[in-house]
This record gives sequence, structure tokens and C-alpha cells, in this order.
Amino acid sequence: MRLIVARCSAQYSGRLDTVLPEALRLIMVKEDGSILIHADSGGYKPLNWMTPPTVIEQEGEPPQRIVVRKHAGRSEDRLQIILTEVLSDVTHDMGSPEEAAGLAKDGVEAHLQELLAERPHHCGEGLRLVRREWPTDIGPVDLMCRDADDEWVAVEIKRIATIESVEQITRYLERLRTDPQFASCRGVLAAQSIKPQARVLAQSRGIDCVEVDLAVLRGEREPELRLFTA
Amino acid sequence: MKIELEREDFLTQLQAAVRVASTRSAIQALSGVMIAAVSGSCELRATDADMSLRVPLQAQVTREGSVVLPARLLMDVMRSLPRSSVKLELRPAEGDVEVLSGNASFHLRTLHAEDFPPLPAVDSDAGLTLPLGAFVETAAKVLGSASRDETRPVLTGILVSASGHEVRMVATDSYRLSVKTTQLATQLAHTFEVNVPARALQELARLAAHSEDEELSISVRQNQVVFAIGSTVLSSRLIDGQFPNYRQLLPETFVQELRFDGAELREVVRRVSLLAQKNAPLRLAFAEGELTISAQTPDIGEARESLPAPFHGEAFEIGFNPEFLREGLDAVGEAEVIVKLISPLRPGLLESGDGSGFVYLIMPIRLNV
Repeated sequence: MRLIVARCSAQYSGRLDTVLPEALRLIMVKEDGSILIHADSGGYKPLNWMTPPTVIEQEGEPPQRIVVRKHAGRSEDRLQIILTEVLSDVTHDMGSPEEAAGLAKDGVEAHLQELLAERPHHCGEGLRLVRREWPTDIGPVDLMCRDADDEWVAVEIKRIATIESVEQITRYLERLRTDPQFASCRGVLAAQSIKPQARVLAQSRGIDCVEVDLAVLRGEREPELRLFTA
Repeated sequence: MKIELEREDFLTQLQAAVRVASTRSAIQALSGVMIAAVSGSCELRATDADMSLRVPLQAQVTREGSVVLPARLLMDVMRSLPRSSVKLELRPAEGDVEVLSGNASFHLRTLHAEDFPPLPAVDSDAGLTLPLGAFVETAAKVLGSASRDETRPVLTGILVSASGHEVRMVATDSYRLSVKTTQLATQLAHTFEVNVPARALQELARLAAHSEDEELSISVRQNQVVFAIGSTVLSSRLIDGQFPNYRQLLPETFVQELRFDGAELREVVRRVSLLAQKNAPLRLAFAEGELTISAQTPDIGEARESLPAPFHGEAFEIGFNPEFLREGLDAVGEAEVIVKLISPLRPGLLESGDGSGFVYLIMPIRLNV
């Protein structure tokens, strides 16, 4: 990663033509060929940028002109940066891209599934886990549980439950129920957020909907006290 | 259609109709109001497919007919007219309605009247009659407890039941539960129990406030309820689904039963609540002979006030959502309020001390000391 802090101007030509007047900017040149010009305001978004694959040419040392070119169909995108004063020009070895850890999103389905597998009662009173990723020939059911009456309960876990989530658990239930031992298996759709339409459809099909709170699941916060489970 | 009417009368009725007209329907006609001049009388109709309203209009009908006009635009035009007398005439060839008042004239394009659904009328045989005031006051006591969360439709309604000599309404959003039972002087002809959208009862209360009628007719159909106050007819779909068994939620016994002056307690709660912001709880600390109500919001400040309380036993502290507690006390009104408690994590009950049949069950908030 090369970071250049410089007084510069930029001209872009391609899908449209733009001119960035001269000012103090941060130019980021990434190993993968990305180039981004940032101001010290305007949030995360660069003022100009080019995505890889690109060809980057530099004139002068310290750099006086950087030209970035990229083929876009039959035409060419071209970003020319004229540097009038270079305040800093450093390059850091960030390691190989394979080593870099990706963004770990909190509350992804796998994480929710893990937490709910440890605390299946959050999906329904008296539920106990039989198996995670219960196999069916149309895909695995997230959690297969039994309830207090020893009846089977299939739990589908989503971060945001939509109509499609209801269709998915419906398919699993139909498949499971073809086996006489799962004939009375019921379904639970557990999610951090359930869309109103999904809730209506699920209820019309006898599928219970449970909204789960990640902070409560992790034990970071006590659940809100309610008169009844809504 | 050709009619002449008084602007102020029309505006009063139009405002009610505009509240019912749809604001986001795919059917454009539902964003309009229908002016129907039939058999010498005239009425205004509006619906959003869930709720519908028919209100009478005092108008001189020159030519019968009906027309659907954009509700909000019509109201804006009516408000702006220079004179009190207004003439409306449908011009079929132009597909508009001419509005004349003084020297001002407007031509408003009509919406498709054929897309406007027929609205229900009161079924006098299947219905029953109730005192309007008693019904609306009962609704007003519980309306605040209905949920606004559309993801749980069943809780957005008021469970209305009528049988024998009483009307009962129940509302809950799972954090609190309001039950109001009103005794009637006469025996009801029919019984029913339905879940009516809170919005419909709110609208009924507004209509009642502008009405001199004292009776309310109600007829219940398979999935619809129809209310009539004189010639004004409000109908609403009913909410499907199992309403929570509220009787099961009301504890049979309590550890403490304390009587307070309703107005005094309400004022203290209102004052101290000013410093219970950003979801901060209102703390009620009971000690021998005294109740101290306090609130603290980090970076904002704190408040505390004590009042005498007939409390005996081991001191304890319980937290409540300030807004919910205030609404419960407001619903109790000026009367003496009975506060019933079990423990800091069990629901508390506010009961009207005048025997008016109102109870408000409220779940506490955990206090992290």
C-alpha cells in the first residue's frame, strides 16, 4: 500500500469528464491496482478512484505526474494526477491478500445458529437441540429440536426473515413430513428481524415466528420484561 | 351531480373523511372522497379498504349523482375558498367538477368512481344499541395500551366484548395491559367479542366528540364491525388472530396494596419523569410510610421527590417505563389510585379506586442498581 500526501489536481476522462482542482489530498495506491484520491472531509468516499485492473505510470521522483489507465470496453478510462508538492510518500507491506482477515459481520446467520444451538429455548419454550444442520435431501435444517412434548421442531435461522425464508422452511417441513416419524414436525422461523409479510405468511402456515436479540443471546443484556411472549 | 352547501359544514365532515381516505393505495380512487347525492340527500364517503366512513352532508341537491375527488386537494381548495357558500357541479364531458365560491372557480379532475367500493350500512336487525358516551369513554381508557407495532397485528386492536349489562375493552402491547369494564343501565340484545383496530376506535371517538347523538349502533359481521352515530357510519375490518388471554395475565394476589391520591401521584410522576430520558427508568422506592420516586439520566441530571405512602414491610425498589406509568395514571384520572405490587420483577397493577372498573397492569423494568 502506497500512501502519498500531496498537493495535486486530477483530471478524469472516461464515462464522463471531471476535474479535481488543486488541493492537499491523500492518494492511496493499492497493491491490487486500485487508486483512490481522498480529501480530509466528505466521509469514507474518495473524490476520484479507479478500480483494478489498471495500468499505473509515474513520472518524476518524487512523483510529478501519475497516470492511471483502464480499459472500459472499446474506450479507455484515464485518470491523470498532477502533483505540485509531495509532503509524504510511504509504502507499507500489508502482507498477501490471502492473509488478510475479511470483515467479520456481527450477527451473521452462522453466528446466530451457534448461539441458538446453545440456547434453543430462545426459539420456543422447552425446546432442546437434537442436531445442528439436520440433513434433508433438499438442504440442511438449521436446528432440529424436540419440544417439551417430545415433538419434532425444525428451526430455520435468518438474520432478517423474509417471505423467501418462510418458503424455505415450508419446503423443509413438507420434505420432513413425508417421513411418518416427522409427520407432526412443526416449524419455527427465528431471526433478528422478521418482515411483517413474512410473519403473516408464516402464521397462516402454522409456523411460529421468534425474534431474537443478539445482545440477550450473548448474555450481554437481560431480556426486557414482558407480560407475555409477543 | 350538482349541489350547493356551506363551506364550514362541509369542511368539518371532509376533515373526518380525509383521515380515513387512503394515503398509499395502489387504487387511486381510494385516495379520494366520494360525494354521493342520492334521493335528495347527500353524503361523503371515504375508505382505505380497512376502514370506511360515511358522513351526511347538509346540501341543496339540484341534480343527483356521485363523484370521487382527490381528498386532500379538495380539502385544501375548500379551506381556501373566499365565500361560505359553495357550488359543486359535475361536468361529465370535461371529466371534472366545477367548484364555485364567490368569484373563485376551480375545476378538479375526478377519480374513477367505479373503482370506489360500495361501503357497508348498518344492519339494524343484527345490531345492538349502546350509549355512545359510555362506549367512547371505555375506549379512551384503554386505547393508549394498544400496540403500534404492525408486525404483531393482533396487539394493534382493542378486544371489545359486550354481553348482559356490560361492555369491556382490553388492550395490550405486551408491556402493559388495560382493561375497562363499563356497566350499562340496560341489558344488551346481543353479545359479541371482536378485535377492533385501535385506529377505528380512535376515529369513532373523534366522530363522537362532534356529535350530539347519544346512541351508538353496532353490528358485527364475519370480519367487519359497523358503527353508526345517527347518519354517520364508520366500519372497520376486524383483526384476525388469537388475542392474548388477558385474564391469565392478571395476578390473583399481590403483596402490597397501596392507596394514593391519583392527581398527586400523577403530578409527582410527571415532574420526576422529566429527568428519565434516553430509556432511563423511573424508580419507585418504597420504605416505611414513604414512596420516593426518582430518575437519573447520565449527562442530563437527576430528580427525586417523596410522598407519604401507606407502605409497611421490607423496603424495595421497582422500576417502570416513565411513559407507561404516566399513561396508566392518566387513564385512572383524578380518582384515588390503588397501586398493587408483588416484587420488583413482577407486574404492578394500577386500579381506579372509585370502582369504575379500570385496571392497568404494567411490567417493570430491571434496575441495574
